[in-house]
Amino acid sequence: MTGQALLWGVLYALPIFVRGDFLLTIFIFTFIYAILAVTFDLIFGFTGQLSMFHPAVFGVSAYMTYLLATTYKLPFWVATLPSAAAAVVLAMIVGSICFKFRLKTFYFAVVTLAFSEMIRLFVMNWNSVTNGTLGLVVAAKPTIYWPGSGIVPIKGPIAWYYLTLVCLTLTVLICARCLRSWMGRCFGAIRLNEDLARTLGINVFRYKLLSFAVGNALASFAGGLYGYYTGYIDPGYLGINQSMEVLAMVLLGGQGTLIGPIVGSLVLTGLPHAIDLRAEIRAILYGAILIFTILVMPRGIVGTLNAWRAKRGA
Amino acid sequence: MALEVRGLTKRFAGLVAVADVSFLVQPGEIVGIIGPNGSGKTTLLSMMAGLLPPTSGTVVWKDLPIQDLRPDIIAGLGVVKTFQNPQVFTELSVFDNVRVASHLALKRALGLRRGLEIIGAARGVEGRLAARVGEVLALCNLGGAADQLAGNLSYGEEKMLGIAMALMCEPELLLLDEPASGLGRDEIRNLEAVLDKVHRAGTTLCLVDHKIGFLRGLAHRVIALNYGQKIAEGSPEQVLNEPAVIEAYLGAGHARA
Repeated sequence: MTGQALLWGVLYALPIFVRGDFLLTIFIFTFIYAILAVTFDLIFGFTGQLSMFHPAVFGVSAYMTYLLATTYKLPFWVATLPSAAAAVVLAMIVGSICFKFRLKTFYFAVVTLAFSEMIRLFVMNWNSVTNGTLGLVVAAKPTIYWPGSGIVPIKGPIAWYYLTLVCLTLTVLICARCLRSWMGRCFGAIRLNEDLARTLGINVFRYKLLSFAVGNALASFAGGLYGYYTGYIDPGYLGINQSMEVLAMVLLGGQGTLIGPIVGSLVLTGLPHAIDLRAEIRAILYGAILIFTILVMPRGIVGTLNAWRAKRGA
Repeated sequence: MALEVRGLTKRFAGLVAVADVSFLVQPGEIVGIIGPNGSGKTTLLSMMAGLLPPTSGTVVWKDLPIQDLRPDIIAGLGVVKTFQNPQVFTELSVFDNVRVASHLALKRALGLRRGLEIIGAARGVEGRLAARVGEVLALCNLGGAADQLAGNLSYGEEKMLGIAMALMCEPELLLLDEPASGLGRDEIRNLEAVLDKVHRAGTTLCLVDHKIGFLRGLAHRVIALNYGQKIAEGSPEQVLNEPAVIEAYLGAGHARA
């Protein structure tokens, strides 16, 4: 617990000491990816379902948030809500099909990946709306109400740093509240022993679907933020590599924990940028870290630290 | 009548595991189902709990046919089953195992209002359920092991934890699949005492076991199976003296003697 408090404290205090735009930019990407990783872990680490659907929700919500905001002149925050609703609808459709057919582990992963690819191809070929492979340029910025100044746009690394950090904090708090309640108990029961969960009266289909829907709904905010931050949205958002990156972050940080995915995102987003690696080399680094983690540290950084602390305390 | 099994049959390809079995379980009874290995006892119990769909026949619980319902719905209706090989959540503590099993109780207490618990608005009910978990653990003599990881328990303790979890589901009819198998003498005595308390508290029990001595002391009525067919039904003494039952267990030579 103290470790977690320290991590949050350091993250909130960081811009006081660090003024470099480059470093803050890395952290902004880290926080957006951490939202994806934490919500992916809700489905994967806590409920035991290896979903490959995150890129679809990430991409669709990025497009939807921008298109709704520009077409209907909606503020960014208002536009994120229908995008989250769309993520829930997509998750319900895909989840219902997968869970009705009792798809598990790799079968579930492959089918969700196939759905994600279908959506990517659909987005890529819907030229009139999405501008195909050329993508869309996002010139607008999200706005917030600031006492004294009224409604102000989010500009500059420090404003974006705190905006994305607050969004990450809210995501973690919502996930933590869900996991601490009966929902979390049902998710855990399904992950550990589905047959036993059934005989104890837990509707396995419903709770798998709930986990999938909540995880994807929260992940959709990351898509909106990412599009507005980078100022550019293209079908690459929905690519399979996004799934691999998020999976690598969760495995490295520690699956089944809320802090693990953040740590994984810090390392895997921060490290390649900090040592300035090319995209191809970065992909190799992700692969190498994935192999290393699975072989040597299957519980990830946070899981291994927790086990070490528990052993020392015993 | 609490539960009625009518003409229940289960075929696995060419093998008939359970063949046209019918019987009643009255409220407040303790019914034992005996039979040698492979006689279809576990298959029968699994069909009663919704874990296996029957090939034909019906299971009626309080006038409602339940043979096609999902196991979680059947558990919600009050029919809960334990497993022959203990099934527990090995990564959770003993307390948390039983806490997971409080799901149905929470659902009954709050219904859809349990959504409030996510924002911490149903702490009273949660507190009451946590206290109930403590009571169930004490009843099953597991109070001292509450903080232990379930994966570290002995075989006997794991079996008892399985019963504690089933009890937390507030069953009206508890189906126990070989609860005494693999247990030592003291553990069986402990199990008998626990089941006696559970029965006194008003729960109907239906047990499958091939330990005849264990069932003789506990069951009001015994049903004997062999090769999936019911070969006898009656009081424990009647059934155990039935030549067909003796033959099934010990061979034709003993049945004639």
